[in-house]
Amino acid sequence: MTIVENTRHRVVRSRKIMSTENTLSDKSVQRPADQPVESAGSLKSAIEIENFNAYYGDFQALHNINLQIPEKRVTAFIGPSGCGKSTLLRWINRMNDVVAAARAEGRIRIGDIDVLGRSTNVVDLRRHVGIVFQKPTPFPKSIYDNIAYGPRLHFKISAAELDDLVEWSLKKAALWEEVKNRLHQSAMGLSGGQQQRLCIARAIAVGPQILLMDEPCSALDPASTARVEDLIFELREQFTIVIVTHNMHQAARVSDRTAFFFQGDIVEDGVTDQVFTKPKKKQTEDYVTGKFG
Amino acid sequence: MGHETSNPKRDASRRLFDSSFAVICLLLSSLVAVILVVMIVGIFYQGAGWLSPTFMTHGHRENVPEQSGIWQALVGSFVICVICAAFAIPVGIGTAVFLEEFKPRNSLLKWFHGVVQINISNLAGVPSIVYGILGVTAFVYMFGWFGVIQTDSPPNLEFGIEYRYQVKTLGGEYVTFACDDKTVQTTEIRESITAENKDGKPFELKVLAKGTPRPKEKAELNQAVFEGKSASITSRKKFYYMHLPFHKSVLAAGLTLALVILPIVIIASQEALRAVPNSLREAAFGLGATQWQVVRGTVIPSATPGIMTGAILAMSRAIGEAAPLIAVMGATISTTLGLTNMMDQSPTLPVIIYRWAQDDNRDYEGLSAAAIIVLLALLLVMNSVAVLIRYRAEKNKG
Repeated sequence: MTIVENTRHRVVRSRKIMSTENTLSDKSVQRPADQPVESAGSLKSAIEIENFNAYYGDFQALHNINLQIPEKRVTAFIGPSGCGKSTLLRWINRMNDVVAAARAEGRIRIGDIDVLGRSTNVVDLRRHVGIVFQKPTPFPKSIYDNIAYGPRLHFKISAAELDDLVEWSLKKAALWEEVKNRLHQSAMGLSGGQQQRLCIARAIAVGPQILLMDEPCSALDPASTARVEDLIFELREQFTIVIVTHNMHQAARVSDRTAFFFQGDIVEDGVTDQVFTKPKKKQTEDYVTGKFG
Repeated sequence: MGHETSNPKRDASRRLFDSSFAVICLLLSSLVAVILVVMIVGIFYQGAGWLSPTFMTHGHRENVPEQSGIWQALVGSFVICVICAAFAIPVGIGTAVFLEEFKPRNSLLKWFHGVVQINISNLAGVPSIVYGILGVTAFVYMFGWFGVIQTDSPPNLEFGIEYRYQVKTLGGEYVTFACDDKTVQTTEIRESITAENKDGKPFELKVLAKGTPRPKEKAELNQAVFEGKSASITSRKKFYYMHLPFHKSVLAAGLTLALVILPIVIIASQEALRAVPNSLREAAFGLGATQWQVVRGTVIPSATPGIMTGAILAMSRAIGEAAPLIAVMGATISTTLGLTNMMDQSPTLPVIIYRWAQDDNRDYEGLSAAAIIVLLALLLVMNSVAVLIRYRAEKNKG
């Protein structure tokens, strides 16, 4: 407990770790929330997907996907169930490796990492590309140990630095005020929304550049959803976020760009406002106006 | 409902059958309860009178039931259980982790995976006496790889033992001296040598020519023998004394019991691992944990209560097994020195129950019942611990 008490009076974050991750520094705040509509070409790509095909056994889940995901923006994947959006998301940090029958072809590049390469260090890749799942998945440990889990895997840091890092992560995830007095209590005692924000804090604690979110709000009530959406909106200043969602209003609210998936193809991708208000394709229009899906 | 033509007679008979069916089920299930009650009452009636401090702290004595007890059997059962657990639990958990957490992609490994899984499911149903025979071949005789242990000659491969010759001095005290060749059973003393007295103090053992008069002083008498006096071999075993093959020993018995419970431990651990939600594994992988880190840091801690419960239930199976022990060690009822190392034989609770129950002296039947009470109490304690662990784990989850 004493360590935690001390933490409150300490510097917000541990410089030593954070300085190595320039994406986490505060100076990356670049633009006001109401930014002008940008064209895809003007943004630096964080993730480049080329000629990507994914399979589950003999079933082809994705057909020849080409997509550029811009840096420090929120990109939403929308589409009806089974359209392949989660599959693509889970390939970006190779979570599908653990699915026995899953395989993929083509190229996904993140900076100079060839994601699908045989020699790619998956552990390192996942440190740079964090993931948040549909259901909150806190470990049955204390709140503190949940956040510290990732850093303990990857870094050799002192207890004091770890304290700072836990505080920093929880503040980033807008959870600090609610849990600062109960850091060493079980994370299982938190509400669903708090647990999901804990999972986001846990993901950003290892210092990723990219955050993948697989329907992060679908198991949450409206109030918790609103808080997580606010959080996504804030996090976008520092992280490239890819969010899979069934909720089109959510996509419209939080994302800068939207890709619409249908039966394993990307039908349309572009700036969110345009996709929702002036879709180029009939299928997109039918989907966003609720005619199917 | 409306379509059915109502038939009051048929409805009544159906209702009658329905209620009598419930009564039949109740009767059948109470039969089980009655059997259990009769068994327990019978055992207590026969055995409770024999339970006493003497019974708990003494070994078996022939034809003196009042002086006989289960101490040696308790020690034997405990040691065998510890050996059994030390082998079966790590191997069982390791196998379960391999089967559940490392799903192979390579076809050869997949095949191996399938073979192990099928084997384990089948092994769980094999009668324990079959394991007993396996234990005799694999642990007692070790397929004859290390020769055969004969009663009149020491094993070829052994450690933790020191051989010495022992001789009685003129003063009547036994002293020992070094032995070069453990296969030579006796030697004759021809010249003075360094020997040790019974306190372990070295001294010069003098050899007196035949016909010389006996020394007068007691101290001198205890340091001298006549020439040609024969000394016989003796040994000092350390507590870690071992030989190969294990022969009829508690080590062989413990390992055999480990084989008996291994499938149970594996299957229980597999179930515990399967009960760990996949989302936890994915969350850990998603943070960049390696397979080992996921297993060690996330999966095993969550599965520990389940694994522990399975392990304890398996141990309670082991503690009650008699057949494989009799096959491996024989139905030992008592040993003169008790258990001094893992190469000794020892009685165990189930075996002593079996031997007492068929003793010609009918009083031993009561002792047998008393030993059953102790065994049942032990099982009850072990199972309660298992239930407690499960209960606490479930409470922590919430």
